Amino acid sequence: MLKILNGGIEVVVEDWPGRLGYLGKGMAPAGAMDNVSLEFANLLVGNPVGEAGLEIAGGYFQAEFGADTVISVTGTDMKPTINDQAIPIWESVEVKKGDLIKFSHFSEFGFRSYMAVAGGIDVPVYLDSKSTCIFGSYGGFEGRKLQPDDVLKFGKPAQDLASLKDRKLNKKMIPEYSREWKIRAIPGPNTCPDYVTEEGMDFLFSHSFKIQHSSNRSAYRLDEVKPGFFAREDGGVGGSHPSNIVDHAYSMRGALNICGNTPIILIADGPTLGGYFCALSIINADLWKVGQGTPSRDYIKFLLCTPEEAIQARIEQRELFTEKSLL
Amino acid sequence: MKNKYDVILDTLPETGSRLEVLFRQAGDGFLQVEYGREQRANLQDSFRMQVVNEMVLEKKLNGLIETVPGIRTNLFHFNPTVLSPNSLIEEIKEAEDLVKSIEDIVVESRLIKLPIAFEDSETKKAVEKYTKEVRPNAPNVINGYNLEYIAMCNGITVDEVKQVLLGTEWYNSGGGFWPGGGFFWPMDPRCAIVVPKYNPPRTWTPEGAVGIGGPCVFTYTTPTGGGYQLFGRTIPIFQFSQKHPLFKDSPFLYRSADRIKFHEVEEEEILYIFEHVHNQTDYQYDITEDKISVKKYLEFYNSEEVQKGAKIFQEKQREGTRTAPRL
Repeated sequence: MLKILNGGIEVVVEDWPGRLGYLGKGMAPAGAMDNVSLEFANLLVGNPVGEAGLEIAGGYFQAEFGADTVISVTGTDMKPTINDQAIPIWESVEVKKGDLIKFSHFSEFGFRSYMAVAGGIDVPVYLDSKSTCIFGSYGGFEGRKLQPDDVLKFGKPAQDLASLKDRKLNKKMIPEYSREWKIRAIPGPNTCPDYVTEEGMDFLFSHSFKIQHSSNRSAYRLDEVKPGFFAREDGGVGGSHPSNIVDHAYSMRGALNICGNTPIILIADGPTLGGYFCALSIINADLWKVGQGTPSRDYIKFLLCTPEEAIQARIEQRELFTEKSLL
Repeated sequence: MKNKYDVILDTLPETGSRLEVLFRQAGDGFLQVEYGREQRANLQDSFRMQVVNEMVLEKKLNGLIETVPGIRTNLFHFNPTVLSPNSLIEEIKEAEDLVKSIEDIVVESRLIKLPIAFEDSETKKAVEKYTKEVRPNAPNVINGYNLEYIAMCNGITVDEVKQVLLGTEWYNSGGGFWPGGGFFWPMDPRCAIVVPKYNPPRTWTPEGAVGIGGPCVFTYTTPTGGGYQLFGRTIPIFQFSQKHPLFKDSPFLYRSADRIKFHEVEEEEILYIFEHVHNQTDYQYDITEDKISVKKYLEFYNSEEVQKGAKIFQEKQREGTRTAPRL
């Protein structure tokens, strides 16, 4: 078990692919913002793909272990320590009962860190997933971020602990981080000529968008679009603004929702339906980059991608999460 | 030549019984099916979509995760590494072509009777909180509530507003946006009230609140923010804990194509039922298995009496919309 001493900025229990199949019931998939880091963390401690871990956004998380186990930390380097001794990231580390783990803050690159524990995090499975939906206050640990004195239970490790420690990810597998995240996206469902001008779509696929400070697990807000973006005067029966549309379901996760003049990436805990159109969708294999995008600091640039390339990227990404990726 | 942002993957031509069907690309793993190039909000499109939706779901396609029907679009969520977008389109087209005439359509539609207490103390608190904390002197708050504003926007009296809400069955075009929610449209065009949404939205709305935004009625499933003008309060339609037998298999009450019908009660009865849903768990919901025959519905809808009444109503509404303060 793990006793929380400092909940930091936002620490939540998340798995992957999250809670799929409930969009029509108004329930977002939630899930890890950076599934690649979570899956590598799971791999390092011998957990099955998709097991729940801790998602640490921003930093300053501190906790005490109530049992001997093996952990791994991945994602942005928050300079984690055990009993004030630095521990490596992208590797599995043995910890003892009574050990104290501390995280500093997000590094020069990336925003979220992930911690997996051998056996996973033992929280109730709610509607097929252990993921927390903060926005709706359900799933994960009591539907919320962790706070001091919370006690998390662990699952049963897949193997003997001794065989799980000191496993290292092949350096070549560590994802490349940046201050300008190049994210592949597919146009649609609402593009040109009916909703957006060709110049408007060119703008979406060439501008470097600053991530706004108000971004969170539901939505990443970007810079406003320029005059000449919309191909229509108003939203017809959908509403007076040209970004309005008769309510439709959103491709969650990854849709770029045009909300008034503000493009908003709908992710994790975001809305499942609404009255604004969507001009593009981030491909599934690149969603993780949004999760590492640091609000107020980083930029996002969309790269035009075909559905065929996107499907191939999904397949290739899944193949990363096997023992072959370890040294 | 196709432009590089063209997202219409395929179409089916307009026939006497349906609009043109557009298959829109919406990411790797999402496909949006849309009825017609011009937006409209007409229940006929939703009836047809429900039937085609059921036919596709019955195929139990490997890789299809879920569908999210709306009033004129249906979002298909699938795993593209298992089910290719093209084969999914073929399956949907096959179902579309089997529905020859809209008149033959019979939609499975339960009728759920819900009590409502108009202007109850809980929703009054929500309005009071709004004027205190969010927008003092909001023009949609008259005598501490929204009913007079709803009446004003539609050129009718408060008593007529209540009769309109009670006087028609409300049809669920599909859920979304908030856990367990549904979007309800009036079956009787003489009851088609329309109001603007709050600007800015509320920060709190009690569970069970009944509101209207644009043309849609919404019943709040859990305490949350929200922007719909409030009528009063009904009983629980969602239960996270799943303690009550009705919610044993899932926390949701509503299904797509359900209808609700309100009847007026005193607030004490609503509170009594809350207790008997959430704590005693012995409240019996009034739900009838039923169907909508589109042929009969169209006869009703197109009858002289209904059309004449709808025209008179719309005239009052136009005058109301013109004179009511904007938000």
